[in-house]
Amino acid sequence: MRKPRIGRFWSVALTLAIIYAAVKWGIPAASREITGLPFPLPVPGTLIFIYMLLAVIALFLLVTFSDENLAEFMHPIKKLLRGGYGRIARAVVMTSIPFLAAWQVYQIVVPKVALPPSLRIQHPSSNFPKSFEALKNPFANPTEAEIAAFVEQAEADQVEFIPQVMSDIEVWIDETGPDHMLEFFPAGPMDAFLAQLEAGAVDDATARAALLEKNLFEGRALYAMNCRPCHGDSAAGDGPMADGFKLRPINFTDAGTLETIVEGYTFWRVTNGGPGLPTEATPWDSAMPEWKLSLTEEERWKIILAEYDLAEKTPRIPESH
Amino acid sequence: METLRQLPRCAPARMLAALGVALTLLGAAPARAADTPGGAMPEATPELVEQGRAIYFRRCSFCHGLLGDGNGPAAEFMDPRPRDFTLGTFKFRTTQSGELPTDEDLFRTISRGLPGTGMQSFDDARIKNGLSEAERWAVIAYIKTFAPEFDDPEFDPYQTLVALPENMAPYNADSIAKGAAVFERAKCWECHGRQGRGDGQKAFDRKDDWGFPIRIRNLTHPWKIKGGAEVADIYMRFSTGINGTPMPSFVKALDADERWYLANFIKSLQHQLTGHQVLKALAVEGAVPEAPDDAAWAEAEPMDVRLTGQVVAAPRWQNPSIELVTLKAAFNDTEIAFLLEWDDPFEDLTHNDAAVLDTTELSRVGGYNSYVAANDMVTRQLETFRDAVALQFPVRLPEGTVKPHFMRGAASTPVQLWTWKADLEAGGGRSVEEAIARGWRQTPQVRPDDQSQVSAQAVWDQGRWRVVMKRPLTTGERNDVQFRPGVFIPLAVNAWDGSNGEHGLIMSLSTWYFVLLEAPVPVRVYLLTVLAFLLTGAFALWLVRRAERENREPGGPET
Repeated sequence: MRKPRIGRFWSVALTLAIIYAAVKWGIPAASREITGLPFPLPVPGTLIFIYMLLAVIALFLLVTFSDENLAEFMHPIKKLLRGGYGRIARAVVMTSIPFLAAWQVYQIVVPKVALPPSLRIQHPSSNFPKSFEALKNPFANPTEAEIAAFVEQAEADQVEFIPQVMSDIEVWIDETGPDHMLEFFPAGPMDAFLAQLEAGAVDDATARAALLEKNLFEGRALYAMNCRPCHGDSAAGDGPMADGFKLRPINFTDAGTLETIVEGYTFWRVTNGGPGLPTEATPWDSAMPEWKLSLTEEERWKIILAEYDLAEKTPRIPESH
Repeated sequence: METLRQLPRCAPARMLAALGVALTLLGAAPARAADTPGGAMPEATPELVEQGRAIYFRRCSFCHGLLGDGNGPAAEFMDPRPRDFTLGTFKFRTTQSGELPTDEDLFRTISRGLPGTGMQSFDDARIKNGLSEAERWAVIAYIKTFAPEFDDPEFDPYQTLVALPENMAPYNADSIAKGAAVFERAKCWECHGRQGRGDGQKAFDRKDDWGFPIRIRNLTHPWKIKGGAEVADIYMRFSTGINGTPMPSFVKALDADERWYLANFIKSLQHQLTGHQVLKALAVEGAVPEAPDDAAWAEAEPMDVRLTGQVVAAPRWQNPSIELVTLKAAFNDTEIAFLLEWDDPFEDLTHNDAAVLDTTELSRVGGYNSYVAANDMVTRQLETFRDAVALQFPVRLPEGTVKPHFMRGAASTPVQLWTWKADLEAGGGRSVEEAIARGWRQTPQVRPDDQSQVSAQAVWDQGRWRVVMKRPLTTGERNDVQFRPGVFIPLAVNAWDGSNGEHGLIMSLSTWYFVLLEAPVPVRVYLLTVLAFLLTGAFALWLVRRAERENREPGGPET
């Protein structure tokens, strides 16, 4: 039994349609499967044009390969023109051609109303000063002298805190009458430190861990006062002010943010804010303040310490040069 | 026939497909809402309480205080303030007015957060570093230790539960209309206003149990409805009352159906944000509409602009009153007019310069804080500061994507502000000031009245300002924004609610949006389109003619 043939013209038309569908919808659909992302990756218009051009050239070669091929291809067209499919069919096809052409030309020349594109580089480095690259958070790495000073203050039960947290601590001391002011810290490194303090033998590692707890506590308070309105109390970029900004505050719990930058970069961003960004990072849309105008260096470092801790992230380690 | 014979061979594939469908259905089955716990609260053992204390210390204490008294370091800058747990007074419950909340109520609040406040979701299904269900229960066990009432069987909240009604009417025009009647009869409008804009109360005498001023909720802004914006949430609010506030329970005054209808009506008041970022100015024949109530405005497409507290520079403000301004624009050959509409429950027509906040201390490096405290720092009373609104445009239209900073530009990228002021409007003179700002550090330079070309008209009615600002499309001034059709012109909004203490940089602001005057389609486009039609038409005709000629020729069409 012979397969029914649809003819050269229709096979060419069908091939073009199939290639177009595959490029236009097939590739994006496959991309979803491959990438696992919740959205397809569309094929750019210029690429579709190139694919279709190649397809047309190949089909042209095929059709013009021999006179018989060309004649077979031209047959339905000639038949239509001569009225072989009926005068009505010819009239419909031949009048739709100028309409289609006019519509295409209109689409191409009519001025398009489209929002100016806004491309943005999230972690720009073009104006990141190299001197910040290797900066270490002084509160994550206290010196021996700082640890000794903290132990001395703790022994005297007179630990110095930033003024912002003092009133809450004082109320707590008044209400609970503790043996030591540091008892407001929950179970953890501070407990071990207080136990050693009472026994009169404080080792360096325990004191260091306790001092880190104290610094974290102050950093969290400063974060809650200064950063929380935008970045949110879980550092998820969802603070009560966040919805008003086109450029949403960064979600620090996201894997692509705090972890991909060195601490010195975080410090640079906190210090100089939106206005410190280069043009490619659209500084005019950033609500990030220049915190150097309000917060001291110590306050900024304490906040960064708490920010990494709250977001449960660690900074990228600077490459050694 | 072929396909039928193939069926048995396909059976494994069909089974696989059926399995796939079943799995998909399972996945699509309504998952348990993450703000509803999987079971009852575990027993509050000392270990659980200690675990809760550690979490509370790390995540809650900076707002709610080490003692749970709502006095953490961040508390005084927020309105509403963080909850004081020591009195056992909780706002959002499913128990009768004045009663304690259930464990599930506390679980819901911690899981969802309270929209429009500093309290955010702690649900680890929504927040990566959020709290697991077990951790949330531990925190609740610890929070309950702050109020001794929780240990008293006499106050058992489970004895006073308020349930949702059995047969809940669907959300439709009928239930909304019935709810509107209830709204009228129960006099909800006395506080919430006829339009639900929180403008019913004519005086500032509303206070909570702690003596802090209370703002009546604007029911039309769903993102600010703390207890949840859905019908069931709204139903609960007037069935349980909001403890510690003037909001009563209507459980005795209204039956369950009436309350359900009312909840449907309240839901219907909620504004749906438009979502686009380009304000399309309406082209009008004749004069542009100058009055806020001009019928011509009905045809212009609205654009909602979201505003938030000015937290970019000291004095920072995280308690803004105005979070939404809706814009419309209309233009003709010579002029453009903007209509700005926003909710403001009180009309503030006076301005007292002596009450302006000295921001020196807030603006200092290493000062206590750069935010304005919610109470006692600025006067948040009537007849102190004016209401105002400003439109901001870049002085020079952007080249490429480069724009001035959305907050007042910078020295090299100035912006122009058209600031309408309610006290000037009330004075009867020119109510708009034109100014050039070069960054927030300097006070904007105001242009003398005789050189200004922007004029305005304003109306305040039922808790809503409607202001029209109008100017010629182009001016001869170098420092003016020039409106040309077909150009995306950046635009931002600043707004001040005087009785919320707002003045100077203590304000709400938006980031950049755009306004577009749609250019008429150039004649060239039509010419090219017609040309294409004629050329292809002529070609098609020629082809047909030629084919016809071949038909008539002897030995014509091959068969």
